[in-house]
Amino acid sequence: MRGRLPANVIIWALLLTAPFWLPLIGGYTALASRILIFALGAMGLNLLLGFTGMMSFGQAAYFGLGGYGAGLALVHLASSSWLAVLIGTLAGGAAALLIGPLVMHRRGIYFAMITVAVGQIFYFIAERWDSFTGGQDGLTGFSRQPLHFSGYAISLRDVPFYYFVLFFFAIGAGLVALLLHSPLGHTFVAIRENRRRATFLGIHVERYVWASFAIAGLIGGLAGALNALQNNFISPENLYWVESGNFVIIAVLGGMRSFWGPLIGSIIFIGVQDYVSSILPNNWETVIGALFIVVVLFFPTGVLGIIRRGVRPA
Amino acid sequence: MELVLFDGFNGLIQGAFYALMALGLSLIISLNSVINFAHGGFMVVGAYLAFALAPYLGFWGALIAGPVLTGILGILVERFLVRYLYARPDPVYSLLLTFGLALIIEDSVRSVWGAGGVPFAIPSWLDSPVSETYFFITGYRVFVMSAITLAAGALFAFLRLSRFGVRIRAGILDLETVAALGVNVYLLRAVNFAIGIALAGFAGVLAAGVLQLSPTMGNDVIMATFVAIVVGGIGSLFGSVLGGLLIGLAAGVTSAYYPVASDVVIYVIMAIVLIVRPRGLLGQEGLFE
Amino acid sequence: MSLLRLENVSRSFGRLLALQNLSLEMDEGQLYAVIGPNGAGKTTLFNLISGFFPANSGEIWFDGARITRLAPERRVAAGLVRTFQITEIFPELSVFENIRIGVEAQMGCSSKPWPSQSLARQINRRVEEILTVTDLVLRADRTVSVLTHGDQRVVEVAIALSRRPKLLLLDEPTAGMGRAETDHMVNLIRSLHEKQKLSILFIEHDMDVVFGIADRISVLHYGRVLAAGTPKEIAADPRVQAAYLGEAA
Repeated sequence: MRGRLPANVIIWALLLTAPFWLPLIGGYTALASRILIFALGAMGLNLLLGFTGMMSFGQAAYFGLGGYGAGLALVHLASSSWLAVLIGTLAGGAAALLIGPLVMHRRGIYFAMITVAVGQIFYFIAERWDSFTGGQDGLTGFSRQPLHFSGYAISLRDVPFYYFVLFFFAIGAGLVALLLHSPLGHTFVAIRENRRRATFLGIHVERYVWASFAIAGLIGGLAGALNALQNNFISPENLYWVESGNFVIIAVLGGMRSFWGPLIGSIIFIGVQDYVSSILPNNWETVIGALFIVVVLFFPTGVLGIIRRGVRPA
Repeated sequence: MELVLFDGFNGLIQGAFYALMALGLSLIISLNSVINFAHGGFMVVGAYLAFALAPYLGFWGALIAGPVLTGILGILVERFLVRYLYARPDPVYSLLLTFGLALIIEDSVRSVWGAGGVPFAIPSWLDSPVSETYFFITGYRVFVMSAITLAAGALFAFLRLSRFGVRIRAGILDLETVAALGVNVYLLRAVNFAIGIALAGFAGVLAAGVLQLSPTMGNDVIMATFVAIVVGGIGSLFGSVLGGLLIGLAAGVTSAYYPVASDVVIYVIMAIVLIVRPRGLLGQEGLFE
Repeated sequence: MSLLRLENVSRSFGRLLALQNLSLEMDEGQLYAVIGPNGAGKTTLFNLISGFFPANSGEIWFDGARITRLAPERRVAAGLVRTFQITEIFPELSVFENIRIGVEAQMGCSSKPWPSQSLARQINRRVEEILTVTDLVLRADRTVSVLTHGDQRVVEVAIALSRRPKLLLLDEPTAGMGRAETDHMVNLIRSLHEKQKLSILFIEHDMDVVFGIADRISVLHYGRVLAAGTPKEIAADPRVQAAYLGEAA
């Protein structure tokens, strides 16, 4: 991995300094926070999608649950941003852990169909349980709380919030990196590469699919919690299957076989979405849809796949 | 009691829609190996085409022209886009491409006909109740049920009796062997895709008479269609019909007793089926895995 | 005590009876070949032994335990490891990484998210051992999908070895190979048998290979055992000659 070190250093340096240079090229800090949040959610998904080879189309469910977990924690439990993130993360992880056994027996397009359909359960619960979730209008009445360090309070405005997000992004990305270099990560990749060979090496494939699914949900929950804090709002739309498609395209766009793919994908996707919806407020969906099709037909290996042909996961 | 019958009948109609959608999607999944996320979108296209053509062709003309035109659109999409997916076994690409297509369709329909709902007129003689007591059984609903039954029956007959249909079934089981026997697999897949899409268009036209049209009406239907296929057993066409009817009925009955849960109930049924029979009601072991 | 014993095992696919009342017994330390004309049921036999699908009737015993209904993963854990007729490897990974997956499974640490330094060293040492035994050291960092067919087959054997099998099942190890590659594979099998004292059961079409290295042979014909014995006995058996001549005619 020594060869990759410079790239890693450059990426982290750019992320750490983003609030300073981003305005110079026409961006703004809140956009950077949003990019990191979606990159984190897609990175979690990519553990399942790119490294375990399981086509999950339900990541929005765990992302959304993370959001509701964080929002509800702020409304009902305590006014602490830390606690909100913790509860949101656990909500996403616990849901994925429980759902895993339902989906782990299937593969290919059937895994995709079942993950997306199961994800819808949470959407309808959030949409219908008015008294608890705010129903169709979404959950409001919470806002991110200042952080307290021994009597010192930091309010999470624009730039501080970016660093708050970056802190958790680093934890999530670090977790994924660690996993990919561990026997567990090797086993995930083995399942992607050849499920039959893995089975006949004595690997209980379904258990590992479950594990991968749960970790993806956990990281999705973390990203979702941060998303709720950024918007001070969470709505059922964040759980809807269309949102799951966004996470998949982010992973594929950047390159789902590479560690940094989801970040690159998120920069492009969120960037394009932000730009196009400002100039074509009524038809940006067509542009996004066309982007999907162009990527599939012409850039199936994603940006990083094109840049580094023959790249292999760790 | 009346309410239960009312909701039950409504559910049955809804289930018949789901079954028709699931049947088309099942065909496409099985032979084209593509999960068509745009299947709901094509249904919407069928519905709006019927709405646009009805003033010129009348109801019956629109009923025929809607699905046919949707099917032709399906052929174009297959030739220019979907065809490139066959060489890519990773399902992520078929999902993304059709997902993008669904976004474009929804956006285009909204641009052409507006975001709001539009009504679709059906012949007045079809709209009157067939019975005084059971006021909810309108002629149109009976007609919809019979039309769907007829369409499903015609499809099964086509698959069993015609040479082309038999080839489609053989291709579903083992496409390589069918290709080796000299059958034009490209044509087979193109026609199969068009049939599946035409069925979605047909469902759209029929739905147009019951529901208000809106550009997003496909989004929830596509999920219910997925659920119908999973419940019925992936790879089984008959299972798709069974799954569709079952979840439609369940949703209908639930809305009588516990309306809040009527959307969720189909997913609960799916979860239960997956626990008890991981391959769905009629899914076979080892098939399509 | 025998290492592997099949008692009256049958398996059918629809109306096709692939194996009927087949019995077979293999002792520890043997290099045992299964031969027979195409469609005789050789691969079906391997699939039953490895748990790819279950037998319709009959019993299978391995290392003193009944494994008839055991899941394939558990058979591997019991020491029964196989290769496939069509090479099954992890195509986009390096030779080293291919073997490491098996080593980690063998050491029971496949689910470890953060291994200790000493565990990681132990894993690497074991992978290097296997690379040496299979003569793959020079190719350790190559992606297996770019290797020659012959090398890929050796990698598959190496992956199987990583699980420290008590019995290694090789499904046509020399299929599709040229002369030099075949010789290399034969030498590998022989050295595994002689130096590592490994018990090996293999299916093979190449009669030179079979009669060159096997110490016992079973001949399958239409899903039954036509004959079983030493290579000498088999070569002299008139029924075997008839079966093979019959196929050629």
